[in-house]
Order: sequence, then structure tokens, then C-alpha cells
Amino acid sequence: MPGHGCQGRAGCRSGGRDAGAGPGARGSFPGRSGPGAPGPPGQSPCAMSGAPGGRRPTFPGLPGERVLEEAAGARQRCGNGGGSIPGTLLCTDRRLAFLPGQALGSRGLLHSQDEVALPCIHKLVAASSFSKPKVLTAASTLKFIPEELAVFCRDFRLLRFYFPENGLAPQAFRVANAIAQAREAAAWLGDAAEGHDGWASPGETTPEEDEDEDEEEGSSTVLLFESLRDWEKELQRLGAAGWRVSAVNERFDMAPSLPQYLWVPSGLLDHDLKRTFAHFQERRVPRLCWRHPGGGDLLRAASFHPASEPGSEDVRCLEALLLGDRGPCVLADTAELPTLADIQLAHLRLRALCLPGAVAEEKWLSALEGTRWLDHVRSCLRKAVEVASLLAGKRCSVVLQEPSDRDLNCLLASLVQLLGDPHARSLPGFQSLVQREWVAAGHPFPRRLGLLCRDSPREEAPVFLLFLDCTWQLLWQFPADFGFTEAFLLALHDSSFSPYFSTFRFSCQRQRGQRSSTPRLPSQTYRPMGGWQDPGGHRGGPHPCTFPPVWAWGRRYTRQQREQFRNPAGPPGPAESLTPGTPADPCPRGGARLVLTLAKGSLCPHALPWWSRPPPRPPVRVSPPPDSQGTQGGLLGTRQPPPGLLLPCTAGPCVRLWHRCYLRGLPQEQRGRLAPSLAGLAEELQLLQDRLRAWNLRRPH
Amino acid sequence: MASSSTPKYNSNSLENSSSKQTLKDGTNWEQNEEIPRLPGETRVTDKDVIYMCPFNGPVKGRVYITNYRLYLRSVENDPVVILNVPLGVISRIEKMGGASSRGENSYGLDITCKDMRNLRFALKQEGHSRRDIFEVLTKYAFPQSHNLLFFAFVNEEKFSENGWMVYNPMSEYRRQGLPNERWRVTFINEHYGLCDTYPSLLVVPYNATDDDLKKVAAFRSRNRIPVLSWIHPETQAVIMRCSQPLVGMSGKRNKDDERYLDVIREANGQISKLTIYDARPNVNAVANKATGGGYEGEDAYPNAELFFLDIHNIHVMRESLKKLKDIVFPNVEESHWLSSLESTHWLEHIKLVLTGAIQVAEKVSSGRSSVLVHCSDGWDRTAQLTSLAMLMLDSYYRTIEGFEVLVQKEWISFGHKFASRIGHGDKNHADTDRSPIFLQFIDCVWQMSKQFPTAFEFNEQFLITILDHLYSCRFGTFLYNSEFLREKEKVTEKTLSLWSLINSEKSKYTNPFYSKELNRALYPVASMRHLELWVNYYIRWNPRIRQQQPNPVEQRYMELLALRDDYIRRLEELQITNNSKISNSSASSTSPSQMVSQVQTHF
Repeated sequence: MPGHGCQGRAGCRSGGRDAGAGPGARGSFPGRSGPGAPGPPGQSPCAMSGAPGGRRPTFPGLPGERVLEEAAGARQRCGNGGGSIPGTLLCTDRRLAFLPGQALGSRGLLHSQDEVALPCIHKLVAASSFSKPKVLTAASTLKFIPEELAVFCRDFRLLRFYFPENGLAPQAFRVANAIAQAREAAAWLGDAAEGHDGWASPGETTPEEDEDEDEEEGSSTVLLFESLRDWEKELQRLGAAGWRVSAVNERFDMAPSLPQYLWVPSGLLDHDLKRTFAHFQERRVPRLCWRHPGGGDLLRAASFHPASEPGSEDVRCLEALLLGDRGPCVLADTAELPTLADIQLAHLRLRALCLPGAVAEEKWLSALEGTRWLDHVRSCLRKAVEVASLLAGKRCSVVLQEPSDRDLNCLLASLVQLLGDPHARSLPGFQSLVQREWVAAGHPFPRRLGLLCRDSPREEAPVFLLFLDCTWQLLWQFPADFGFTEAFLLALHDSSFSPYFSTFRFSCQRQRGQRSSTPRLPSQTYRPMGGWQDPGGHRGGPHPCTFPPVWAWGRRYTRQQREQFRNPAGPPGPAESLTPGTPADPCPRGGARLVLTLAKGSLCPHALPWWSRPPPRPPVRVSPPPDSQGTQGGLLGTRQPPPGLLLPCTAGPCVRLWHRCYLRGLPQEQRGRLAPSLAGLAEELQLLQDRLRAWNLRRPH
Repeated sequence: MASSSTPKYNSNSLENSSSKQTLKDGTNWEQNEEIPRLPGETRVTDKDVIYMCPFNGPVKGRVYITNYRLYLRSVENDPVVILNVPLGVISRIEKMGGASSRGENSYGLDITCKDMRNLRFALKQEGHSRRDIFEVLTKYAFPQSHNLLFFAFVNEEKFSENGWMVYNPMSEYRRQGLPNERWRVTFINEHYGLCDTYPSLLVVPYNATDDDLKKVAAFRSRNRIPVLSWIHPETQAVIMRCSQPLVGMSGKRNKDDERYLDVIREANGQISKLTIYDARPNVNAVANKATGGGYEGEDAYPNAELFFLDIHNIHVMRESLKKLKDIVFPNVEESHWLSSLESTHWLEHIKLVLTGAIQVAEKVSSGRSSVLVHCSDGWDRTAQLTSLAMLMLDSYYRTIEGFEVLVQKEWISFGHKFASRIGHGDKNHADTDRSPIFLQFIDCVWQMSKQFPTAFEFNEQFLITILDHLYSCRFGTFLYNSEFLREKEKVTEKTLSLWSLINSEKSKYTNPFYSKELNRALYPVASMRHLELWVNYYIRWNPRIRQQQPNPVEQRYMELLALRDDYIRRLEELQITNNSKISNSSASSTSPSQMVSQVQTHF
């Protein structure tokens, strides 16, 4: 077993506790270990499987992670049919983890299904046969010896542990209370989390052996949009002539929540571009997201600033940015989409509904409808279909305009690209898409996912999870058009609650750059007049930890699991860029200054706020009235959608509940056989191929 | 590549896929013919009409009526709109509008179909233009009401397989290991003298004489005595089926029936009580006493345990499906879809049937106890329960031929009243004997196949084809109410079997995901959270709801399966050639097939 000796060093993380440490040897870690500390946890593929004779495998802790309590001899109940796995239940200052006695993990990596980050715990319930089930909080701790512990997670999982053997009682008691306490203490400080460096990344300093492979598979092909190169590369792929990368925001001084690099019209100089920022909320100016090869440009922007009164020179720049000479411009606002409060409410209701026994069987369907979650999914899909059809069918540009440009614009911009761009439906393409339209674009993940500490303003609204649901609907309706699978979406869903990744820990690139040491960032900070403050001030302080992006899947998912991310039935070969189509029907001509709004599936002329005169044309319906074909046909102009365009059905029966995600916590009585997946078959093939190769090599010559 | 070159919709703009169906249904379309025709099919009339398509508006076309089908082809549309409707699916033909009624396209025919759609044709108002077509349609759609033969009796198709050979009761019982020392085959019903709705061949306890059976028959509704449907190969517990006991208001008892049930209980050496599942709700069972029926009381049957399964009667099911049709045709609601669906109670009924069948299967398998299943007459709910339980317990019934045997045995031979429930060729559309019991069963099978996508050899198309020909009257399979009547009408001599069509082209109905496995019981989740509406059947006429077709995932899966077989074969070859030369190799101790099974356990 190569590396076996080395992996024993993992113990240095865990306070020298080796595999044989008895239950009494409670963990006392060396408080913090910097990222440079030696002794990577689980470097060897055998890190967790080496413990013979039921001794528990080494806990692959994170740098600086402390084990607070542990209960050996606990059992985790399995979802199906009531089996259980023996192992050790641990409570650290970051998470609750379960180490199976017979380790399944292959390389010192904790199976994603065996751990929960403390902030992801929604409810902790202890039960015993002598007492009523009790919800545990820091304030109300346990007064009895628990026999069973149920952990309700915010990602819809339900983990159940029980303590079967006698003599376990004190441990069970201690670990349950520890979880309740630690959960409270671990509430995230979030965005401005000064000094809260506890959340380091797993194996941050440990380039694991599989990491290379992972690089090759995913990370390296994912564009993170942190460097100029990525923006240029992607712009080139889009073939967006007439657009350039501007570094005007390189120091985040133009718009702190925008990325460093923006795609703007080539004809617009940075000098002119700078005049436009003040006229948009949060200074988030219109910029290119995507271009349909045969059709129009997709832009996104915040609302016009209510107090702005652009002078004539500013108006020239604004119109050059917004309208250019690209023909008519359609403004698509988010009025028909759910509000943040709607999304949050629906999600809370959905989560409550998906708990066991939440509603009587015969009322399930109407209760599900009552959450309105599926309605929200439907309206997002419908809007995206309208925009994608416009871009594909008519030569005009569409500007997505949301007041903040940081929530539903992210969702809509990415959905439109999923519908229109086959590349976005490949695994790396999708990851790059999320990276650009959500991460770089400044979606405030911590606030929206509710990862902030409790006393911060409640701005929770899982817009990103709504997007994942929309994506799943597309995947379900067009199974062969995606390079990734439901398993991948689930992993992404669950990882969004996990504190180990830079992706979901920050609200914009600026913060991400400050909190993680990205060498590309300029070392000095710029303070604009009356603008934002540099909250960190860490530059001179201790070197901050680097958080990996969520796309480094190898850190939490085994090779087998990652195999299942790829859809073997997906588009064969690497996703290619769209071939430029023939120029489509032009939008109704009206000169370069024609501005329209998209509302309820049709287009109406509209005036920009600084136009003193009424719209240049009398208000006419531009698109045909919605006929029995539905609005898509109308907006599309033609019956046949252009190649590569997905037009999902949004009728009642076609928008469905994502069972595998939301109903995971329900006990399943289904027994009989497991359903092998396409991905499973693909992996089986891989192994057979390996085996064949091995045979051929050993063959005597 | 493929994804960027072909348009993708899930919202087809026209019903163009129906043009594919003409090819799908196995019809020969000879050159120089305007319409496809089966051998034996003759043209009767044709006429210019306007098809009032509920999805795309009026479509000008020509309608052709044969003795088998109604066929419409549009004249102006591109792509061409095709309607291809076997006359058997027609439940009702109504005239709409009068000669003087105003409004465009208000004069014509309104046709209600049994397969979840309505058709409306507008005709020219002058000269009683619809009279002919109305009469022709009525005559050929309802042959039984006009002293005409079903099309099945004039159908001259030829198939490479003979579907009538699929089910042979004797070989099916042999497959189950019967007769044995505890169960015997009796020919007491050879001429349907004991029970005219039962098959001629029955399996009963070895210790019950034919005389006993006759005495028991007197105490069971329509003489449908408890007989064996299935025996568990290991526990020897059996599934028995029958009708309700004739207890009546006075609480009659019958010593022979009581003893007979005890004999059944003892037949697998069972000490515990015999389990009786009464499919009805408790109150219905009690109410049946008023008409002479009832259930097995505790006093009379101390060695039996009785459970009610709360499944409603044929009238409730009919009304439920009617409500379902209202919400799926022609328009599907968008925002209140789920609550509308809930208010039809269709899925709730499916759930109750499945739940009942799971109980039966569990009792026989894990409970190791013999069960007796009945409802009132034992030909509707009972057939659903026994056949579903058998499907859960016996993987043979999950193959194409096995399923055909199951339908042939539990439904057709045991006298599910197909003629009355479907109303084949009968114009009385409001007949209260009609009810979608068999459809409900097929729906339950579909739910199971969704939950266990690899457990069934047949695919969705197989189930849809069965339902289509349940109505079409092209095959003799589902005609008439009992084996006795079918024999009288010489159905097997004069008509073709649906299984001939299916077995001649098996690949079309094969599920590529099917993995033949050990015989293992399957218990689906019968929860509203996991049941779903069978959109591809109930809403298939709505072009906007249609799933992507053909499913490329299946194709890809088939390719991968073929590849796997190839690899395994090559590995085996290598192993044979190398085995002697290579020793002490860890790999050689694992055979490829073993390895595959290990691999599969990951998923």
C-alpha cells in the first residue's frame, strides 16, 4: 500500500489521535494550523480504509478544524429499507461528520453524504424511547440520553443516527449537546467576516494525487473569469465582433460589485464608458453577456439611477453603450418574475412540505401547488424562452434590467444561455456560465443562501437554487442535450451550503479577491471618494486562506461520484460553438434609436428616461398577438426554432417537482432493486475497458 | 453536433407525429392508395370536412371512413395534418348545430372517444351533407348495435407469430410447479357448467373434491369459487381469487365454504390464519349484504383474518376518469394544474389499488401466508389486485410474454367483463357498466415501470399499444366478457390476437433498460409524492405537452449496452485463452460477469 506510512501523518491534524484512539480520547487539536502546515490529511488513497479490526479510520480534518466531541459506535441509518452503517459520529467546530467504520472513502476524503456543515443544519432532533422527541438548540439542551438523532438539513437531506449499544450513553449525550452548541457558535459572519478565518478549505495545501486528473477533467477548462485572459477567450468563442474587454473596473473603483473586466462596445472608449456608471444603480452598467451567432446580443444592467440627469455628453455615451448601432434594443425587466420575498417564502414552504408527514397524502398535490415554487420555476422558464426566442429570431439586442442586477438577472442571463448556447450545456461550459453570470457578476450568495449570522438583516432568497431547479427542468425535458447530469446538479445544490468554497462565500469578485490570496489582484487598494471602504484590512496581516472554487470536485466527491456528473447520453464530442446562422428577420425597423420593452410576451415602444420627447414612433404592437401557438411562436417569428435552441414546455404537467433533491429526506419504502443509471453504465464500461487493457498488457507475447 | 443541427422543441406546433403513427400501427400502405388500409379493410365513404383541431384551429381536409377507421388528411396544411382513428375508440357521435344554425363551422359532428379525446368536424350546411357520414360512422363504430361483425372478424392480416399460442393455462400452471401434492388441476368447469365466467381449467386444493367445489359454488356470487392464481415457489403460500360469499342480511353460513377455506389454509402447512383481502371499502361490503352478498364474518371463519382495502367501485372510477379528461383535453391548466389533478382523485385511486396489491404481495412473500382476494363479483378489483401482486412477486410476468400471459390469465380467462366495461361496438355510451378498470391496472403497471426502470422487459409503447387495441376491435383479444362466450364466438379461430402484432415486432416494445435479474419481489412506493400522471398517455393528443421523441437517451443506452456485451465477450475470450498461462493473478480470479455485478452494486 503505497503511501500508507505517510498518511498516518494525517494524525498531526487531528491532534495526534491515531486510528486506535479510544472513545475517551477526545480531540484537542492544536488550535490553528496555518495553510503552510505540513502533513496533508489523506494524501494516500488508503487514508480511510487502512484501519483494520474495526478501529476507526483517521478523521481527515480541515486545517484548523477542531473535533469537539465524538461518539464511536454510532450507526447511521441508510435511506432505503432500514439498514445501517456503524461508525463514529463527530462534531467539530465546523461540521458534523460521520466516519463509517468500514471506510468507503478512497482518499482521505469525507464522503459528501456523510457530513453536514454546521450552518447547513436546519433542525436537530433527539429522541429516546423514554422521552418525547426534542428539538435541540444552544439554549435548550438535552436532558435525557438520546437513542436517536435526526439532523434535518437545509439542503433537504435528513441524516439519522442512532446509538445502539449500552455504554454509549455519555458519548451520545455529549455529542448531541455539542452539535447544538457548535451550530450556534458557527453561525457565519459572512461577507464582512473579519477575523473569522476558521473556515479554511479542506486540503488546501495538499495537492492531492487525483487533483491533476480533476484539473484535466474540469477545473482547468472552467473559466473563472478572474483574469483578463478568460474574458478575452470567451469573447472570442462568442465571436462577438464589435465588442471588447474593458479593464476600466480593474481596481473595482468604477463599480465595486462588478467584475474587473467588462464586455463593452468596441467603439466606446473607457473614457466615455466612465461617464455611464453613475447613471445606474450600484453603478452596474449595461454590458454584454452573450451573443447569439445568428441573432442579437444579450446584455444585463441595473435600473437607471433615479436621481441621474445625464448631460448631453453622458447621453451620447449611454446610448452608445445601450443601443450602439445594433438595431432595436429590447428592455426586459423582471416584473413578471417572482420577487426575492416570493422565492424565499416558496422555498421555506417547500422545505416544510418535504418533511416526513408534513401533509396528508390526499392533499399533497394541492399543498405542493400552494408553495408556489413550481409557479416561480415556470415564470422564470417562460421569460427565458421569450428572451431566447427574441435573440434567435430577430436581429435586436435584449437588455435584462433588474433594479440591482444581482439576483434575477443572474438567473435569467444564465437560463437564456442554457436555452440558446449548446456550449453552456456542457459540463465545463455550465461551470463557466455560473462563474461568469453569478460569481463574477456579484450575486450575494451568503446573504441569499442565509449563511450569515442570525442578527444580520434577513435577505435570504435562494435565487441560485431556483436557477438549479430551472436547469433541472431543462435537463428533464431535454435529456440528451446536456453534458452533465442530475447528480451534478445535486452536488452543486448541496455544495452551495458548504463553507469550503470561495464560490459561495463571497458576494462579489472584490471580496473574493481580498479574502483569498489571488496573486493576480493588485496589491494596493484604491479608495474612491465616498465610495466603498476596504473592510478587510488584511493585506498586512496574516496571510488569508485560499478557498478553492466549488468546481474542484475532487475535494469532496470520489472519482465514482464524479463519473456520474457526466451525461454519457449528452451531446457527443466536445460542445462546439454555435455556427453562425443566417441573419434572421430583422426587428421592425425604426432607426437605431428604437427602444422596446418586453412585457407579457409582446413588445411595446418605450422611451429611455432621459428622452424628453415621447417615443419616436406611435405605440404599436410589434409582435403578433399571442395566438394559440403561445407566445414563443409569436416572438420567434417563425415556427421552426433555430438549431440548438431549446424551447421547454411550461404547461402544468411539464414543470415538475425535483424529487431526487427535495424528497431525499422522506423514508422510501421502495424495495426491490436499484435503478442503474446511464452514467452508471458508462462507468462500468470504463472499468471493463481498463480490465481489457490490463489483460492485453499481461498477455504473454 | 446533433444538438446544434436539429431543432429541439417540447412544444410541437402541429400534430405531425400522427403521420408517423400510420407507420407505427403496422398498416401496409400500398402505392396508389389514398389512405392506409389493412387487409380486409374496405372503404365506405369519404367527404370534404373541416377538422376543428382544438390546438391549431380549423383544418380543411378530407375524411375517409372504412369499416375499421376514420382517416383524415388535411389539404392545405404543411406539414400535412393526419388523423387516424380506429372506429372502435368512438364512444359517442353527436350532431352539432342545425341546418339553420349560424356561425362559421357550427354545423357538423362531435365525436367523443374512449381514448381521452374528442373530435369535431364541421361540414357544409347545405343538403344534409352530414347525414350520410353520420349514418356510416354510427353503423361501423357500433357494429353490435347494427348486427354487424367486429372488424376483428374480417381482418385478414398475417403475422409471423401466433399470439393465441402465448397463453396455455396448463403450461402456465406447470411453470408455477403445479399440480403438486397439495394442489390439483380440475376439469370440473370444462363446459362452463360450474361457473360460466371462469376458465375451463382451475387449480384447487388437492383435498377438495369436485363435489365440495359444487357446494362451495352455491355460496359464492355467480359461482365464482376460490381458486388458485399463483403459488410462491418457496413459501408455498398462494394467492386465491373468488367472489363475495352470499351471506345476505340474515348472515347465512355455509359449512362447505368454511371448510374449503380451511383446506386452503392448510394446503401450505400453515398454522396461522388465512388472510382474506376484501378489496371494497368496509361500508360497501356491509351494504352488499342487502343484495345477498357480504363478507366472511369472524364467527363463521375463525381461522381467517379479514382486511378491507378501500378500493372504490366501477362507478367511482368512471367518474374520476371523466374528471381527468376534463382537465387534460383539450386544454391543460397552467397554474392550478396540481390542485385540479388532485380533485379528480385519479392518482388517489391508483394509490389505493397499488397499496392493496403491495399488501397482498407482502403477505404471501414475507408473511408466508396464503391470501384470498375478492371484491363483489371478483372480476374487477380482484383482477387488479391479483395481477399486480403477481407482477410484484414474479419476474416472469415482467417480460413481454409473461405480461401477455398475465393479462390473458387473470383478466381475460377469469372473466373481466371487457365487453361491458369498454362497450365494444355498442352505441349505448351512457351504459353504467362501463368503467376504466383495465386502464387503471395498466396505469398501475406504468407507475411500477417508472419506479423500477430496469425491471420490465416492455416499454411504455407496449402499454400504450395494449390500451389502443383495448378499444380498436382489430383483434379478438379483448372482445366479449368471458372465455365461455369467446369459445362460442370462435374468437381464436376467426380473429387475430393482439399478441401476434406485438410478438412479431418485439424490438419495438422492448425496454432497452431492462436488465434480467434474479427473481426478486418489487414493492413500489405507493405514495402520492411518488405517483405521477401518465402524461404520455393521458395528454398525448396535446402537441404542446409531448415529450421529446424519439428518446435519444434510450438509443445511447442501447449502444452502451451493446458495447458492454462486446467488452464482456472479449474479456471472456481473453480469460479462456490466458487462464492456463496466468497464475497467481488477482484479476484472473474474478470473472468478468462477477466483476460486472460488483460494479453494479455501486449504483
